[in-house]
Amino acid sequence: MINNNINMGIVAMHRISKIYERQGKGTAALNQISFEASTGELVLLLGPSGSGKTTFLTILAGFQKPSSGQVSLFGKNIMDYPSQELQYLRARHMGFIFQTFNLMEGLNVKENIMLVTRFAREGRNQASKRADYLLNKFEIDPLRSSYPNTLSQGEKQRVAVVRALVNDAELIIADEPTGSLSALQGDQIVAFLKECVDKERRTVIMVSHDERIKHFADRTFYLRDGSMELI
Amino acid sequence: MKSRCSNEMIMMMTIVHPLTRFVLTIVGIALCALLMLFLLSIYKGVSKGSVSYVRESGADLWVVQRHSTNILRSSSLIPLSIKPILQKVDGIKSVSPVIFILSSVITAKGPATMYLTGYDIKTGIGGPPAIVAGNRVANDNEIVLDHSFAAKYNINPGDNLIIKDDTLKVAGLSSGTNMFVVQYAFISLQKAFEIAGYPFLVSCFQLRLCPGTHPAGIIDVLQDKIDGISVFDQQTFLTNNTHEMESGILPLLYMVAFIGAVVLAALLSLILSMHVLEHRNEYAVMKALGAPKGFLPALIIKQAMVLSLCGMLTAAVFIFPLLVMVEKISPEVAGQSSFLHVILVLAGTGFICLVSSVVPIGKLRKIYPLDVFK
Repeated sequence: MINNNINMGIVAMHRISKIYERQGKGTAALNQISFEASTGELVLLLGPSGSGKTTFLTILAGFQKPSSGQVSLFGKNIMDYPSQELQYLRARHMGFIFQTFNLMEGLNVKENIMLVTRFAREGRNQASKRADYLLNKFEIDPLRSSYPNTLSQGEKQRVAVVRALVNDAELIIADEPTGSLSALQGDQIVAFLKECVDKERRTVIMVSHDERIKHFADRTFYLRDGSMELI
Repeated sequence: MKSRCSNEMIMMMTIVHPLTRFVLTIVGIALCALLMLFLLSIYKGVSKGSVSYVRESGADLWVVQRHSTNILRSSSLIPLSIKPILQKVDGIKSVSPVIFILSSVITAKGPATMYLTGYDIKTGIGGPPAIVAGNRVANDNEIVLDHSFAAKYNINPGDNLIIKDDTLKVAGLSSGTNMFVVQYAFISLQKAFEIAGYPFLVSCFQLRLCPGTHPAGIIDVLQDKIDGISVFDQQTFLTNNTHEMESGILPLLYMVAFIGAVVLAALLSLILSMHVLEHRNEYAVMKALGAPKGFLPALIIKQAMVLSLCGMLTAAVFIFPLLVMVEKISPEVAGQSSFLHVILVLAGTGFICLVSSVVPIGKLRKIYPLDVFK
């Protein structure tokens, strides 16, 4: 399914535009954007609210179609993936981190992490071992049986990061991962992600409005009014 | 395993919260299932009780008035004078006249109706299938009552009962003689003639055949020989009576059971739909994280199954005490439930759950993974 010859472009967008129709008027959220991310880099996309950052991420992950242009994911046009295959791709090869964590309130920490391993059809024992390793690494092992409503914001985001990493996902997509955290907690999370990029050759694409974290990024883009520029 | 993350666990995780609603849902499902179980057991009890007199009569052939097919809801009057003709037919071992009279009696709790059955107390043929208290009718001044009738009107063996101008002593109580809407009571043939006022007419003859005699041959002979009668073999007559009983009571039970099923489907559908809407963000997250196509619908179905199973188990626990209680309050309502009934209703409830999953599964389609990025 995954083309291993496209290491240089794990994800690529070519002349992507997204136009939202509102009351008969078209508003361009993204305008002729081209972008490529390679294995082992952390790409940061900065921009103010409403600049199209989230639209960029959701198109990249195939959650919505662009009005024009092409998206390539793991070397294949995203439109060529059958929906089931795309779901498997998200579960097995992509990890998602959200601003509001989106943990399952009824599941404890370990169960939240194990949920995506089930979606990825991972072997239970192997997945459990990897989850334990990550829980330990991110220093949340003592919280494995805790429920999300008992965790601090920083702890929740670390659980979300572990959830994104547990399937050894090659591509991590992070939507404002520091948005609900203090500056210190935010730095810790991004530092964790940077470590994953450097040591494990994962690719992280992160959107944020927090310019403080740009020193972690290998490349930083700025998105404004639907246009993107490298800074 | 604590870290086990299965569909079932996720399902349980979401459906039991909030607990109060979960409990109320289980109670609702249990009540619907109880209703279905109760109706089923009533049907079973009535269908068995109504025809057990015929089933256990020991008769090989039944002779009734022409066009009469049963003794439950069909009048039959035939002359007693044909008895010698019947007795002379080769292959007939015994001929027992029986008379049925719907009669009112005065009890301590007020007037009541009973299905008076006059039979030959010397042979005992046509009498009560089984005695559960006291004795059989020994003379013309005694009566045997159905035990549920006796319980309802608080009558015991040894008590007296006034029928018309006669006072009859309750000799015993019988079982298998409850027809739900009315109960059998047994008196001597002679007393029945006195009460009816026509000593030359009976309702039917119960015939017993000599060993090796083929009933069909005797039926043909009798219908050729005697005008104005119908003759049925035991199985046909039993089937006729069963059919008569079912055609009278089943449509009503089916309708009530159908209403119960619709209420159950609506209740489950509503609860599950509400649950999907309340947890729409979690469903959207699961879609975003790559949940396979059938995972979320399966989750809904399993939630429905868990609810129905919990409801059914609750109903199964309460059905037997409920039947006992109902029989105490209203003895003639004698239900008979069994493990098979529970399995049947469980299967029915499971099917209803599947049907009720359709609407909430439809709601899943309108939950988009894109929502979690907003």
